[in-house]
Amino acid sequence: MATFQIDIWGEMCPIPLIKTERQLKKMSCGDVLVLETDHSCTSRGIVLWARQHGHEINEKEVANGIWRLELTKRNN
Amino acid sequence: MLKKSQWKLNLGFSFFILFLILLLIQVSLQLTLVFAVSLAIGFTLQKSRFCFTSAFRDPLLVGVTNLTQAVILLLVISVPGFAIAAAIADMANYPLSLYVSPFGVHTVIGGILFGIGMVLAGGCSSGVLMRIGEGFAMQMIAFVGLLIGAFLGKYSLPFWQTSFGEVPGIFLPDKIGWLPAVAVQLFILLVLWKVTRWWQKKQNGVG
Repeated sequence: MATFQIDIWGEMCPIPLIKTERQLKKMSCGDVLVLETDHSCTSRGIVLWARQHGHEINEKEVANGIWRLELTKRNN
Repeated sequence: MLKKSQWKLNLGFSFFILFLILLLIQVSLQLTLVFAVSLAIGFTLQKSRFCFTSAFRDPLLVGVTNLTQAVILLLVISVPGFAIAAAIADMANYPLSLYVSPFGVHTVIGGILFGIGMVLAGGCSSGVLMRIGEGFAMQMIAFVGLLIGAFLGKYSLPFWQTSFGEVPGIFLPDKIGWLPAVAVQLFILLVLWKVTRWWQKKQNGVG
């Protein structure tokens, strides 16, 4: 159970999602990936993608215009 | 960093918009209606996180077709709406400018250029405008590019039209009538919707 974080500040879709995909490949099941983004559509896109791939995800707007995502890897 | 309530800003801006609308009504009713409709569209775009770029890019890149389905739904609603508007205008003898233009090689070139541009910029025209409003600074640069492209396109259109020629325009309702035209389009949209469902299933293994 490790926690990872990748830097996606200021990146626009689809870069954050591609970075997430790559990072997830390196992680094992149960690991948590923390993502913080200032791009509204990015957070939406990642949430949709993660749910469809069966991962657990929590989305929270921590400040005005800043979203924090906690993704728990559930399968390979 | 805590999430601050923005109700004061919201209230202030609402008053500003209200007074602007009141001012616009004095000037022209048409202008007021255009302003109100664009305000409503902008609000809906921002709240729904609607993104045309994502609708066309994500199915190929990550296999997510939710927004593609949203665009199809948008067309399913607007095609009959458009037909109804045209029918009412016809009955009331109100001249309707439909801006139906024939397509040619330049349409394809323009489409490819616009497609590359919108994926690089992370938003189409409405998306870029909406995210500038949200305060995403990177989109300001995209907006400058958008302006340059729009002006170049506008002033070089005669060149494209004369050098490549155009396929004679086919406006479906003129050929087969409004009702069959709407039916044909709705059928095509249904097929497209099925395709997106199938594509999502194939990409992710879930429906």
